[in-house]
Amino acid sequence: MLERGLEEKTYVLNLGPQHPSTHGVLRVELEMEGEFIIKADPDIGYGHRGHEHMAENRTYAQFLPNMGRVDYLHALAYNQCYCMGVEKLLELQVPERAEYIRVITAELNRLTSHFLWVGAYLMDLGAFTPFLYCFDDREQVLDLLDYLTGSRLTYCFYRFGGVPVDIDDDFTAGCRKFIQRLRGRWVDYDNLVTKNVIFIHRTRDVGVITQEQCIKYGLTGPMVRGSGIPYDIRKSEPYSAYPAFDFEIPIGERGDVMDRYLVRMREMEQSLRIIEQALDKLPAGPIMAEKIPKRLKPAAGEVYAAVETARGEFGCYIVSAGDTKPYRIKLRVPSFGNLSILPEIAVDTLVADLVAILGSIDVVVPEIDR
Amino acid sequence: MGMLAGVIGVVTLVAVNALFLIWMERKVSAHMQLRPGPMEVGWHGAIQTVADALKLMGKELITPKDVDRWVYLAAPIVVFLPVLLSFLVIPFSQSLVIRDMNVGVLLILAFAALTVLAVLMAGWASNNKYSVFGAIRSVAQNIAYEIPLLITLMSIIIMVGSLSLVDIVNAQSQYWFVLVQPVAFILYLTCATAETNRAPFDLPEAESELVAGFHTEYSGMRFALFFLAEYTNMFIVAAVATVFFLGGWQGPFLPGIVWFFLKVYFVIFIIMWFRWTFPRVRFDQLITFAWKILIPLAFANLIITAFIMKLR
Amino acid sequence: MLRDNIQKALAPLQLEQVAVGDYAKTGCHLDATAAPEQMPAVAEALLSLGCFLESLTCLHYPEHFTLVYHFANFQELCRLAVHVKVPFDQEAPSISHIYPGANWYEREAYDLYGIRFTGHPDLRRILLPFDADFHPLLKKFGESPADA
Repeated sequence: MLERGLEEKTYVLNLGPQHPSTHGVLRVELEMEGEFIIKADPDIGYGHRGHEHMAENRTYAQFLPNMGRVDYLHALAYNQCYCMGVEKLLELQVPERAEYIRVITAELNRLTSHFLWVGAYLMDLGAFTPFLYCFDDREQVLDLLDYLTGSRLTYCFYRFGGVPVDIDDDFTAGCRKFIQRLRGRWVDYDNLVTKNVIFIHRTRDVGVITQEQCIKYGLTGPMVRGSGIPYDIRKSEPYSAYPAFDFEIPIGERGDVMDRYLVRMREMEQSLRIIEQALDKLPAGPIMAEKIPKRLKPAAGEVYAAVETARGEFGCYIVSAGDTKPYRIKLRVPSFGNLSILPEIAVDTLVADLVAILGSIDVVVPEIDR
Repeated sequence: MGMLAGVIGVVTLVAVNALFLIWMERKVSAHMQLRPGPMEVGWHGAIQTVADALKLMGKELITPKDVDRWVYLAAPIVVFLPVLLSFLVIPFSQSLVIRDMNVGVLLILAFAALTVLAVLMAGWASNNKYSVFGAIRSVAQNIAYEIPLLITLMSIIIMVGSLSLVDIVNAQSQYWFVLVQPVAFILYLTCATAETNRAPFDLPEAESELVAGFHTEYSGMRFALFFLAEYTNMFIVAAVATVFFLGGWQGPFLPGIVWFFLKVYFVIFIIMWFRWTFPRVRFDQLITFAWKILIPLAFANLIITAFIMKLR
Repeated sequence: MLRDNIQKALAPLQLEQVAVGDYAKTGCHLDATAAPEQMPAVAEALLSLGCFLESLTCLHYPEHFTLVYHFANFQELCRLAVHVKVPFDQEAPSISHIYPGANWYEREAYDLYGIRFTGHPDLRRILLPFDADFHPLLKKFGESPADA
């Protein structure tokens, strides 16, 4: 806990744990002088549910639904990472069609996560209308994913060795229609948000993160891409069917909040490209691997699997002792590292800037707390 | 007798206006956000506000423990009364004005300043850091934006030569002042939005930063009074805009009072439009904008107006 | 090649083991084992090569803790896993003065396992309430057989 400022000049203000802009149950203890922040200390753990402990007491298959609850906004990517890790341990080969389906659904999920982020972020800044525009688009994606997987938020769609349900023509047609509609909407977003003078003033040169800080704090995702480092696991450490697709990695120049916003907006367009290519090139074939043992007992060993989620790199480090239950699963969540930089970049800013910076980090607190 | 009728008329107007404006705000915001808004209660949700008001009246009046009791209780009243009194001088049509004082504008501006006091009272008495924050921001904001507001209005007053609102309307019989003073109109609208604490200048009640700013600790009917005061203030500010720039009650065919209300609600619509389009400015940007941009512009406008009037 | 550079940089530190890993099976290109005191030097060597700390995991074994550090690099793909055995009553050295990102990871390891880090500026609980008196992820060895 921070020591109370004994001089009369500073005082302590609590941002949270119940607060409209902390995106979850997060408390930031601010030591302030007037409207300037001297020290910011995030206090996490309000949502600690013990996922890693649960992992040690459940079989691999029983733990699979937990992954959708770690970060519920991009649940499919987390599912994918965990499945990848276990499949490596079991030496299962996932059929190509299943990989393509995984990519399509994960990218659609990425879109919903970014839409929610844009809407909520602009609401933090005081603009209420983009929230509804974003949710309108998000609903279209949720309908598509609901049609396929049966869930709207906490997906548990992948299985070890593939996917359980195949996509049909209705789904494909719906995807294409959605992509076309969304491409026409980018202009609206540009006019309403990106070119908005007040928005530019609130986000330009605010919360600058240098490349050196990225390395020292282990940041990943749009945080480092906004600072100019083209690090995206889908390109640096390709997994699943990503090598087959042609897409770019948008990067920013200055590492401020505006750049991170632009990176996420442009990433959405790249996701559309990936989905389109995946639908075009979708191969025929089975959707589940052939010989999956009934009782999953991977050999003793360790595996580290990583995927690129909407927030950054999610890593699943599984240690197996040759048993049906894992010995240890470590969930390396992107928001944990990303949030750890807040104390450094929040110094000497205003509360309004803190809200802007905190929003641009795109934290999902339940994944930090696990 | 006429005075009494006027006062009763004004109180009724204030109540009905608030009901109407809240419904209008919800509908305008809804349609700008691609959704229909209240549709259930009454025709297109017209009676929704009445239902909400009844609900608010039934809410428990929670007084937090360590508040400064009399200041806390007085703040909603102090915020509402000056706004109500400003109605004394507004000319609704050539014959409908409760009291045409020859310092009408001065009265309105003086009472507008009193609302700042009420906000400060509310924020301070609530014994809550967020409320104090909101109150301090509001004081700084209101003081900063009152100056360009005054100077802008002075440009019009120079042209007319009188502080009485009826005189100002009568002086626009040939052409409306918005045509000769467009810069002043835009300046006035900006300052008016800031004076009424509306977005993008709604920092005192910035929802996402300060929970609810200076009225965080108010619930039920007390909160409703703040709300009422805000909408009534909007009406006053739009009425002043109508009187000063849009020709007041003047217009063909329809009776004066109808024109007056149409113009007032048009200006209110523009103010609402601002809210749903722009994000919030940051506090230092807000103050910089007022002191470094609006005040010089307003002064320049005043000097040019004075020159031209002298040359005539 | 980054992998060779890392091996070259780690060679003078005389770690217990630095071996090429089977990436397809384990996801790591290099596997190393180090003693606790060597960790800060390892961290400095890797920082100079531009690697970032990807993850810090603690494992509870019957005889000792094992800290597993994963390092990766933005420029070139090469994941290094460093295993450090820490006996129970011993403290591990903190690398948070080299990698500030390790600060929170070390607090988490302390919170969940009770392992302490010397030189950590602010070693307090991060996930559990500050007055909790237990470390949740410690295994209870010998209590019940671990099978399905």
